Amino acid sequence: MRYVAVASVAARQTLSARGAIVARAAFYVVVLLIFSRLWGAMSGFISAAEFLWYLALTEWTTLAMPHFYVGIEEDVRRGDIAYRLARPVSYFWAKFAEGMGEVLVRLVVLAPVGLVAAWGFAGGLPADPRGLLLAVPLALLAAAVLVLIQIAIGLSAFWFQDASPSHWIVQKLLFVFGGLFIPLDIYPEWMQTIAHCTPFAPLVYGVGRSAFGFDPAAAAQTALLIVAWGVVLLGLVGWLYRRSLEVLNVNGG
Amino acid sequence: MSGSIEVENLSKVFKVRVRAAGLGAAMRQLFSAPTRDAVAVDGLSFTIEKGERVAFVGPNGAGKSTTLKMLTGILHPTGGDARVLGHVPWRDRTRLAYRIGTVFGQRTQLWYHLPAADTFALLARIYDQDRAVHQRRLSALVDAFGVGPLLDKPVRQLSLGERMRCELVASLLHGPEVLFLDEPTIGLDVTAKAVIRDLIRDTSLQDGSTVLLTSHDTGDMERVCDRVLVIHRGRLLLDEPIAALRKNYIRRKVVTLLTAEEHVTVDLPGVTLVEKAPHRTVLEVDVDLTPIEQVVQAALQASRLRDLTVEDPPMEEIVQAIYASAEAQP
Repeated sequence: MRYVAVASVAARQTLSARGAIVARAAFYVVVLLIFSRLWGAMSGFISAAEFLWYLALTEWTTLAMPHFYVGIEEDVRRGDIAYRLARPVSYFWAKFAEGMGEVLVRLVVLAPVGLVAAWGFAGGLPADPRGLLLAVPLALLAAAVLVLIQIAIGLSAFWFQDASPSHWIVQKLLFVFGGLFIPLDIYPEWMQTIAHCTPFAPLVYGVGRSAFGFDPAAAAQTALLIVAWGVVLLGLVGWLYRRSLEVLNVNGG
Repeated sequence: MSGSIEVENLSKVFKVRVRAAGLGAAMRQLFSAPTRDAVAVDGLSFTIEKGERVAFVGPNGAGKSTTLKMLTGILHPTGGDARVLGHVPWRDRTRLAYRIGTVFGQRTQLWYHLPAADTFALLARIYDQDRAVHQRRLSALVDAFGVGPLLDKPVRQLSLGERMRCELVASLLHGPEVLFLDEPTIGLDVTAKAVIRDLIRDTSLQDGSTVLLTSHDTGDMERVCDRVLVIHRGRLLLDEPIAALRKNYIRRKVVTLLTAEEHVTVDLPGVTLVEKAPHRTVLEVDVDLTPIEQVVQAALQASRLRDLTVEDPPMEEIVQAIYASAEAQP
């Protein structure tokens, strides 16, 4: 009976994370769908070398992103956020600046590593290596938006106490709709449509497709999309931050 | 209102989520989560004048930190009013932040992997401090707090006492007029505590800055402050000078007799034997029943006294007695 009681408590704890239950179920369906299409679609679409350079760029962008939300989550859970507010700087913008500082260093450090490794494993540069140059400004823009997303994940601790379920969900969305491992072009058309309606497509796929050739018009379009999503997310995260301060005020953090 | 800190009928009520036990209740709470009101601060009023050093004490959950958060502008009160240096903190938080300093014992503002010097330089930028003013202030604080040799060491390599000295320097760099300290000596050893207390007091005396200090350690209260506010269940129980607190709340004294005789007996009402050793007798005296002078006279008559000390009980006991009397009230 003791073990039944343990299972019952665990069930209650799981039920208390409503969002995570719904998202986990939805992700399960999506993953099954994608992988059912993957193997048939992969052959003949891109070469192994192009695929590797694509992966090098998408991973460069996402690996450069530290688990920045953890610090914000700790500030929320331990109540440190309240004390950091007693400074003449905005906590939100200070965290954004901190995140950008960290991500820029990582981008700079990872760039030569990725270049050498991808060159070695792919057996050469992409067909038109000038595309790699276009990836640099796109990755910088994407990094700023990814920092905003990390701040939103960290702030979710105000409602869920634990930000890791939110991080898990965003990570999977990034993986699926960003095309982290697979270019969106091989998704079924309706899934491509959905992916392109999310911010994740320009942030990841948009940077990665620079590996397929030198296309300044496409890069400019991606840059515009990233900036547009950045503005939308800035508004949303700013609203979330203000709501967080209200929660702190009403519930004591 | 004319003091450094003025608080009038301040109150704060939080909404706390109620979690019912049982799987069925957990299922229902997926759709609606009931809350209840929790009163953290309940009609608090006090004034602290410029340059005063005031201890703000109370048991856990008494409302100390909530009050401090309202006075630093982080939380909005549910009712009442407060002014810090003339500012309404929650409406004017940023401007107030330039004029106040905060030290929170268990929280750090220093960048953990970097030397403290880097944090100090960053703070100069955050507080828009003129470079020359910053250098002058920094070198004065570095000398006063003896942190010169620590400036280039990563913060993670500092002991807790060293880190706390650097935290204080960080909080004082911009020359705050009011310093809020929340458990500034928590976790420190006896020596480090004494150093930190002296530094806080000396800095306040030198700068004329106001100090509001919360602590569970009555040593902080006695060594740093001249006045104490005792809070319990969000209400002010007591507002008195430290000396008056001792005078008004001490009903017992501890008398130690060193005598030529091996043993001595003092048989008076309210006098109890606490410790007995050859030539040494420790008595506890209820001064309401027998005045100290009478105990001393009786000891002189019964023995040849070599030495005598009369001590107050520790401050810890006095504060506990105040809480206990509050608990006894409905």
